[in-house]
Amino acid sequence: MKSYKWMTFLLLIALMLGACAGAAPTEDTTGAPDEPAGPFRVAVVMPSAINDLAFSQSMYDALLTVQERMGGEEKMEIVFSESMFVVDDAAAAIRDYASQGFDLVIAHGSQYGSSLQEIAPDFPETAFAWGTTLDTFEDQGITNVFAYEAASDQGGFVNGVLAATLSESGVIGVVGPIETGDAKLYVDGFVAGAQSVNPDIDVNVNWIGSFSDVALSAEAANTHISAGADVLTGTAQMVVGAVGVAEEAGALWFGTQADQSSLAPDIVVANQVYRWEVVLEDVIELVQSGTYGAKSYRINLANGGEEIVFNPGFDLPEDVKTLAEDTIAGIIDGSIVVGGSAAEAQTLPSFEETFRVAVVMPSAINDLAFSQSMYDALVTIQERMGGEEKMEIVFSESMFVVDDAAAAIRDYAASGYDLVIAHGSQYGSSLQEIAPDFPETSFAWGTTVDTFTDQGITNVFAYEAASDEGGYVNGVMAATLSESGVIGVVGPIETGDAKLYVDGFVAGVSSVDPRIDVNVNWIGSFSDVALAAEAANTHLSAGADVLTGTAQMVVGAIGAAEENGALWFGTQSDQSSLAPDIVVANQVYRWEVVLEEILTLISEGKYGGQAFVIDLANGGEEVAFNPGFDLPADVQALAEETIQGIIDGSITIDLGG
Amino acid sequence: MITELVSSTVLIGILASGIRLATPYLYAAIGETFGQRSGVLNLGVEGQMLLGAFAAFYLVFMTGNLVLGLLAALAVGALMGLAMAFVTVNLKAEQGISGIGFYLFGLGMSDLLFQRMLGTVETVSGFSKVNIPFLSDIPVIGEILFRQNLLVYGAFALVPIAWFVLNKTTLGLKIRAVGENPEAADSLGVSVAKVRYFTIILGGMLSGIAGASLSIGLLNVFQQNMTSGLGFIAVALVYFGGWRPWGVLGGALLFSMVNSLQLWIQVLGIPIPSDIAVMMPYVLTILALVVTVSRVRGPSALTKPFGREE
Repeated sequence: MKSYKWMTFLLLIALMLGACAGAAPTEDTTGAPDEPAGPFRVAVVMPSAINDLAFSQSMYDALLTVQERMGGEEKMEIVFSESMFVVDDAAAAIRDYASQGFDLVIAHGSQYGSSLQEIAPDFPETAFAWGTTLDTFEDQGITNVFAYEAASDQGGFVNGVLAATLSESGVIGVVGPIETGDAKLYVDGFVAGAQSVNPDIDVNVNWIGSFSDVALSAEAANTHISAGADVLTGTAQMVVGAVGVAEEAGALWFGTQADQSSLAPDIVVANQVYRWEVVLEDVIELVQSGTYGAKSYRINLANGGEEIVFNPGFDLPEDVKTLAEDTIAGIIDGSIVVGGSAAEAQTLPSFEETFRVAVVMPSAINDLAFSQSMYDALVTIQERMGGEEKMEIVFSESMFVVDDAAAAIRDYAASGYDLVIAHGSQYGSSLQEIAPDFPETSFAWGTTVDTFTDQGITNVFAYEAASDEGGYVNGVMAATLSESGVIGVVGPIETGDAKLYVDGFVAGVSSVDPRIDVNVNWIGSFSDVALAAEAANTHLSAGADVLTGTAQMVVGAIGAAEENGALWFGTQSDQSSLAPDIVVANQVYRWEVVLEEILTLISEGKYGGQAFVIDLANGGEEVAFNPGFDLPADVQALAEETIQGIIDGSITIDLGG
Repeated sequence: MITELVSSTVLIGILASGIRLATPYLYAAIGETFGQRSGVLNLGVEGQMLLGAFAAFYLVFMTGNLVLGLLAALAVGALMGLAMAFVTVNLKAEQGISGIGFYLFGLGMSDLLFQRMLGTVETVSGFSKVNIPFLSDIPVIGEILFRQNLLVYGAFALVPIAWFVLNKTTLGLKIRAVGENPEAADSLGVSVAKVRYFTIILGGMLSGIAGASLSIGLLNVFQQNMTSGLGFIAVALVYFGGWRPWGVLGGALLFSMVNSLQLWIQVLGIPIPSDIAVMMPYVLTILALVVTVSRVRGPSALTKPFGREE
């Protein structure tokens, strides 16, 4: 009998572990590649469709061009897997192609890197290429991976110069997917170009948080146009929505990645087009001569990998075109230096070995709230440092049991991580015990300003958010938008970050109209979604027409608000995607600001002893307006004035009131 | 300020909230009642709810079809119940421990599937409110009871059905016999294993619907660990209700009403610290438990595996 029980228990554990192991690749046979007797065989795996008029199409078009130059399908075979946005699927495809003996397998997406790193060593006779990145994994002893990337800030700069020259209203709108990688580089270059012509020009940038949400990109474009923009640009495949809106409104459009002129022949002025041919031809030559990797490429205007293609259907004034050509020539001969990423990269130190970060979080990394704010920041820093090779991120999420979290923190420290982040104020007392045992490990915890220095501990950083600031801005907007004069707040427990946000929010509301009722409901839980929804319902029955709330369980409250058409203000992460019609604005945490400082200090040999506070002034907090919400211009102006006032100190937040 | 509590908006608000909050408890606790009356304690309710919630949400997210969502929740719940029945009936495993195992499985699995298949918090349009003709026009009562979504009506309809099945049918008699004295039932030709399989699978299905009532009924979102202990409270409500459907209904309503009362207390600014307000439903439930349960005896064979003496 007894042994039966144990068997069952073990069976269960096995069942659970089996479930967690998930979709491990099963196929592990090292296929012997064919001898290059037939055509040169290329396979490419892409995150979007081959006709996306953007990133994927740029590669597919280049392949077709090379195929034609080589002499057609008999000389070069092309197969592709498109819309591989699930990285696991892409990894399976990459492995399949390699085992089928393709000569060159292209992983066209920086997100495929870690999969490729596992796959490439199994197929030493196959050449791989991936981008956009400059990392060929050569320092891990992998010699069969080529890397490629685009200096997209260069074409961005040229587009920006043109845009600023053509804009009559002095307002330009940009629609981007996620503030990272190729997209960020392009936008930075564009902004720099526009400002080089007219430093006072308004370039409004809207990151919509998605590569595929065409509707949201259209809405972002609409927002720009309502804000007075007469010239727009944007990057990634979802911008087709924005182009349509620009066309309807008669605003000008600048494209990038592929030639988008066909989409709206009347309004597209010019496009930065990627010519990956430059990379492919060299790669194919090397592969045929027996070199399978370990070389990286960067296409730019000088090497012909980037080209500014003017739309023949658009009547561009001669002098503007001349200016564009001068700018291109200037970038090529080096007389114009496009800043952008270079300045930013300097703020991050470089480490000789991969910098290893572990983070322990109380909820899920995609909670649209506290944990996600830290995870997103880590990923951004990782991208800027140069990908997974430069910085490793591991995490333990949903560590709501403090004991488990403490065990995880100790484990990470013992396995030699450079920085261990305890992302939750509840982990403090555990950390205080653990940190002294690992004097060579740097720890960070928040939200708090206590680094335990007075207990003689020197290897703990602390971080906190001045969440009352964004709360105040949200409160000002909420009070202005509320018609019923009743506003509801849903919070977890009346302490720490949540209390600070709510106090700031209440102060913001009463600065506009002290007669407004702000009802606050602390539900006593960070996770009870159903109770959060019911708290929101309670506010709504009590007459509230505007709601806000903090912590991860508020997704329930947002749903209730949406159902009843009440407005919502978010905090911690950008919650616009959850209810695009009713989310007005979000206070978003940018922990990058803190992480940059911590990394710099660690590189100088300091492991702790300093506390950081993010706020609106240092860019660690940002008020992100929902592009899908039609915010009256005067309210947005008021919000921006409030932000400015908090930054320059002319507004002080009275938390007592 | 206390007087504000008795205004009609507030009273209606409290009662209507309470009805909604009680919905997932009712499904899960009625399902658990069947299991416990046949002698099986299922602590995996929470895990079954999470998987049911995810399955329903995912199907509705992909297809927009609410019926498919419900069927998915039922199927997933039934599968979980089947596994639980195998472990507790055939392998005679300790019920508490294996229930916790199933809870952890459901928690981890639903999170894994959520991360892999959705990746981020999404929304769907789930069951919308259905105003029942005539009844919904009755002042006060109509607003509280008859302007809810279908899954809420279903939860309340389940109570008399469960009562009838347990007390007025042969099946109910068999279930109770197996829970009180499985040896006697067995000697009279009732298959203990069959009856327990039936109740555990039924319980799993109802737990699945309990999850779906959140993810495609009341909230229309799925979030990792969104039930946050609801399933365990449902198990406690079975004890609270003295293993009787009407008792379970009373417990669920009491707990939910006090919960919605404390929400209103905070909104109206009645000066009670929020921590105390949040404790109220739990404290009151414990008090009520102390007063009522001491008189009621649970099924004698609860948590005892059955095997014929060979």
